[in-house]
Amino acid sequence: MIKDYETLIIGAGVIGNSIAYHLSERSREKILVLDKKFPLSGTSGSTQAWVWVHNKNPSWYAEFSMYSAELYPYLSKKIGDVEYKRTGGLSPFFNEADREKAEKLAEAYREIGIKIKVLTRAEVLEKEPHLNPAVAGATFSKIDGNVNPFRLVDMFMRAAKKQGVEYSYYTSVTGVEKKNDYYIVKSTKGIYRCKNLLLAGGTWSREIGKMLGINIPINQLRGQILVTEPLKPFLNYTISGMRQANNGEVLIGYSMEQAGFNRATTLDVIQETANLAQHYVPAIRKAKIVRAFSGIRAMPEDGFPILGKIPGYDNLYLAATHSGVTLAPLIGTLMTELLVEGETSIPIDRYSISRFS
Amino acid sequence: MDKATIICRCEEITYEEIEEVIGHGAASFDDIKRLTRCGMGACQSKVCSHLVLQVIHEITGKPLQEILLPRMRMPITPIKIETLATNSTEFSTVKSVLDELELEDGKVK
Repeated sequence: MIKDYETLIIGAGVIGNSIAYHLSERSREKILVLDKKFPLSGTSGSTQAWVWVHNKNPSWYAEFSMYSAELYPYLSKKIGDVEYKRTGGLSPFFNEADREKAEKLAEAYREIGIKIKVLTRAEVLEKEPHLNPAVAGATFSKIDGNVNPFRLVDMFMRAAKKQGVEYSYYTSVTGVEKKNDYYIVKSTKGIYRCKNLLLAGGTWSREIGKMLGINIPINQLRGQILVTEPLKPFLNYTISGMRQANNGEVLIGYSMEQAGFNRATTLDVIQETANLAQHYVPAIRKAKIVRAFSGIRAMPEDGFPILGKIPGYDNLYLAATHSGVTLAPLIGTLMTELLVEGETSIPIDRYSISRFS
Repeated sequence: MDKATIICRCEEITYEEIEEVIGHGAASFDDIKRLTRCGMGACQSKVCSHLVLQVIHEITGKPLQEILLPRMRMPITPIKIETLATNSTEFSTVKSVLDELELEDGKVK
């Protein structure tokens, strides 16, 4: 039996869920979200979940990230407490030579309305007393923060379900074809027919694209993170590389490796991350690590989000990006506008997949 | 089992909380873990894993041997950062955010 939906979303990560939720606010038509596993089992559940703006590069991408960060307080009011904290973000540097680079960053971002301060050593240590006294300075922005990614996806899902969105988990898509005005989506749990098809497959986007003969240039980039035992609150800001969660655990890591879909943690990166931790905050050397985990980033070939309609296909949409946690509120809002009104309030032409052809 | 029974002692997660997320489709230990924090505490699921598998089995009727076990992660038992750390001062895969900033003609793009 074929089940009919107005809109079918492939992928129940933070992006697919944000779109499902925002769309269900605007549309009463039937929406189905498919996930090959269970939400949070992939990228969205294995992240430090910074909501990060201040050294996104170039400045137009920082601006895009800023609009999304600005949506978080309102979103938390609507879907419930997602432990969003606008702590301010601090990127320390240990080499005085980096100050010039930092000043240039601050100058470029002033023009687009993102205030970045370049701090002196004394200012850094006043803000974050436990940082290594050998620090030379830091860039600092008030707009940065972090969120609990588990609560974020869970709340999106609960709110979407209340608004009538249906979900099917452990449902792998096995084939997609266009038939007249509809898409037929075959899966391990059944066959679905929909008018709008939205691809939000994250790291698996390339594989989903192949089913339609479309090249979606998304690669995988692994990151490994260490989690400490709960410690008394001692970090005031989201530091690039380190943040303290509400329960006192510190998440540490900023690593990048090309390892395909291999989700292993490796001793060399764990050790390097431990080195980073005690280099940033010497006192943390006495804290215990309870767990190391790794996550696979969805990384577009040029690093920027791929958003919008897929040219040449009616009612086929794509949202595939790195920094999904930062961008989810904005992407959910804009993709909904695109589906409901046919255009977006903030231009997204720059992010079209057509830039790769 | 009483609904108020604590299944995960580290994070104080009750039977009722686990039952609720199973109702939302969670089918494995790790599905439940990410939604409730069950098994995310100090013991890293060493105490609660069998109990949770039993709860999944009871509620869903799925045979025990088909329910996925929690994924164990390094370092298995808590270990100090200074024990893990090395003398190396070089960073290869781990980066500072500012390292990624590329200048074009001496300017931010």
